[in-house]
Amino acid sequence: MISRRTLLALAVSLGMTAPALAAPELGKPAPPFKAMDDKGHARSLSDFAGKTVVLEWTSSGCPYVGKHYGSGTMQALQKSETADGVVWLTISSSAPQMEGYFTAPTARAWASKQHWSGTALLLDSAGKIGREYGAKNTPHMFVIDKAGKVAYMGGIDDRPYADPESLKGAKPYVALALADLKAGRPVATPVSQPYGCAVRYGSAD
Amino acid sequence: MRFLAGLFLALMMALPAAAQAPPGPAKHVVVELVAERQGIAPGETIHIALRQQIQPHWHTYWRNSGDSGEPTQIKWTLPDGWQAGGFIWPTPVRIAVGPLMNYGYQGEVLLPMTLTAPANAKAGDKVTLKAAVSLLVCADVCVPEDAALTLTLPVTAATASEDPKWGDVIEAAVAAAPKPAALNAVFQPKGAGVALAVTGAVLKGADMAGAYFYPFESTVIDHAKPQTIERGPEGLTLTLSPGYAFQGGKAPASLAGVLAVGGKAYEIAASAGAPPASASGLGPPPLKVEGGDNLGLAAAALFAFLGGLILNLMPCVFPILAMKAASLAGHGGGDHGEAHRQGLAFGLGSVLTFLGLAAGLIALKAAGSAVGWGFQLQSPPVVAVLCLLMLAVALNLSGLFEVGTSLQGAGSGLASRGGSLGAFFTGALAVVVAAPCTAPFMGPALGWALTQTPAAALAVFLFLGLGFAAPFVLVAYAPGLLSRLPKPGAWMELFRKALAFPMYGAAAWLAWVLAQQAGPEDLAKLFAAGVVVGLAAWLAGLAQRRAALGGKPIVLTAGAGLLAALAVAAVVWPQDKAAELPTEPYSPARVAELRAQGRPVFVNYTAAWCVSCQVNDKVALSTHKVAQAFARHKVAYLKADWTKRDADIAAELAAHGRAGVPLYLVYGTKGGEGVILPSILTPDIVVKAVEAADKS
Repeated sequence: MISRRTLLALAVSLGMTAPALAAPELGKPAPPFKAMDDKGHARSLSDFAGKTVVLEWTSSGCPYVGKHYGSGTMQALQKSETADGVVWLTISSSAPQMEGYFTAPTARAWASKQHWSGTALLLDSAGKIGREYGAKNTPHMFVIDKAGKVAYMGGIDDRPYADPESLKGAKPYVALALADLKAGRPVATPVSQPYGCAVRYGSAD
Repeated sequence: MRFLAGLFLALMMALPAAAQAPPGPAKHVVVELVAERQGIAPGETIHIALRQQIQPHWHTYWRNSGDSGEPTQIKWTLPDGWQAGGFIWPTPVRIAVGPLMNYGYQGEVLLPMTLTAPANAKAGDKVTLKAAVSLLVCADVCVPEDAALTLTLPVTAATASEDPKWGDVIEAAVAAAPKPAALNAVFQPKGAGVALAVTGAVLKGADMAGAYFYPFESTVIDHAKPQTIERGPEGLTLTLSPGYAFQGGKAPASLAGVLAVGGKAYEIAASAGAPPASASGLGPPPLKVEGGDNLGLAAAALFAFLGGLILNLMPCVFPILAMKAASLAGHGGGDHGEAHRQGLAFGLGSVLTFLGLAAGLIALKAAGSAVGWGFQLQSPPVVAVLCLLMLAVALNLSGLFEVGTSLQGAGSGLASRGGSLGAFFTGALAVVVAAPCTAPFMGPALGWALTQTPAAALAVFLFLGLGFAAPFVLVAYAPGLLSRLPKPGAWMELFRKALAFPMYGAAAWLAWVLAQQAGPEDLAKLFAAGVVVGLAAWLAGLAQRRAALGGKPIVLTAGAGLLAALAVAAVVWPQDKAAELPTEPYSPARVAELRAQGRPVFVNYTAAWCVSCQVNDKVALSTHKVAQAFARHKVAYLKADWTKRDADIAAELAAHGRAGVPLYLVYGTKGGEGVILPSILTPDIVVKAVEAADKS
């Protein structure tokens, strides 16, 4: 049978439409993916079946990413959550020649400089995972629950500003969603406005 | 000394001005504060503005920045009693960034705001207003920029004169900014989209080409998706793609934002509700060639006639041209009486079909449906049937079977005896398929027609039909033209077979349309029906050949008819929704985890390209019986999708001695190896296996 994506690819090849972003659906199974990490290991979402997974889109030069890493709040959350058994995948979908493009060595250098503390740093320069999840911003955040379903999508907090001052009193949506999942409660705010820089996708692939 | 002091003073006075526009290579935006008047009177409110001069190729953002970015912010430090309002945001432009969409400004922009002096301000004083501006400016990269600005204004006893440089500019910016305009706006989820219907006096007769809704909230729509425009007599309906706010079956309480239409912009706040009929029905806006608003009946009829003529040249009519050409070729040099009859029949067929479609459209509109021209192609069953019809015509042109003729007449095809009826239906078919092609001139004529009385509308459609049929009828009646056509002969057979291919193309196009409307399931059904139509056509041809030899192939003819009917029924019949089992994707880890929890596990190793897998899914796994059994025994249902290569699944298949799918494994609650089910499933086999698994 012909999948929607094949048709879309057909449409694209006929020059009818630009490749669009897909949109995952809340409460539906998270789209599976595979990618290489900065250490050269192949990682796939299914490796983490049965665990809560956080997806964080990043771009090293983005001031919004800078706000969360410069203040150390992102790393602190990564540290405490991974210690709790949560899988934290940081993904770069910047295309080559675009801001924030990671090769394995530049990704490792960035991670060590930032004291990045997630589970794996995935290199998605073709933008495949990004498009599958409709990742628009850095940082754009997703939380996948233990059953593999999308439990949260949106911003990391409710302050869509680059100014580090805006961290004060912010409502940390991702941390709150993870706390809800741990307590077995429904996620109180399952979607929010994603904010930040645009993910720097390459042109049609 | 006095001179030096004077110089110093001048420098001091120049300083605020310098602070307003700090040049410097690091900045991508030069910002300054400008005022509409040269002073402000006590208690008065004037407009001031933040002026941004943005470096080429860079942009700053609107109040909703779209998919990324951040709006410009201003924080005032004002003396007691002074008040500054928020930005009066000008209508933004759309800035595409890869697959994302931003709303913002490029080049130079003024963000006006109000400034109010307290009633006790003292005339003759100078007031200095301080503002901290922070903005994000982006090109391929984003840079946050800050500026500390000041604006110094004298307090004047009466209203001060206009600033010669900025007065007009600021006034124009304020006048052009979006404002509420007593528009009625409602929204309603519709299929995969959200219909936003806006009606009101200012929209009557407005040019709606390029209309766009900029939402205030960034989560309500998918900014990057195009917004389709449907016009109505009193407004318009935009079909938007829903954003995050519609996730989880929810909908926002309101959809507020700016509607930019016809060079103007209005603030609207749509509440949930059913769109009024007056917000749609007139189709998409016409190409911006000529305005169709003030057409009279005569002009509309003329435009319709021209439009009909040009419609013959539109790409989606091409296959029909092929049929007409095949038909015309049959008259080459021959029987003029027959040519006349066929020309008339074709003309009658196309005109009556145009009138029929128009009557249907007017009736539906009167009943309150939001339909536009081409509505007949919006229904998946209609598209599917048309697709099969195209396929049948293509197979006919390919010579698989004949229509309305015995085998002796083969080679003259559609143009043979008894062809008047054939010509009539050719005309009808041509119109049905050509209808969605809105040709130049047709747009304004149709737009006008649909706002008029039914009689006037029908008259316009009549002329459309006449224009469409005119070339063919003309050729049929012009002996000079007809005699110029080549003589019939063996070349016609070749020509006819070549013309089959545009028809196959039309069938393929309609299949694509259906895939967009209905999805892969219906497409599969259509393809299956297409194969059956092919079989029916072949049988019909076989029967015709037997009949030509003097036989009476009743069984073959009946079989062909039955199969064709079956194929059409299959694509028209509404699908009964089968029981959907909740599934989760397979992984070895998940199987292990579920088994550790003591649940029976059913693993379905499947692939989209595996036909027996799909059959099993349909006839066994998607039945209510199986769904109930799964629920009763709390079976975890995992789908291992092998549509694309997957090493984990391949290893698991090999471990069970299989080279491919399907493979059905049922794991019991008490451990042990999985039980392999047969490759052909029935509901009973599955239910029994699940019951056994719960006990073992």
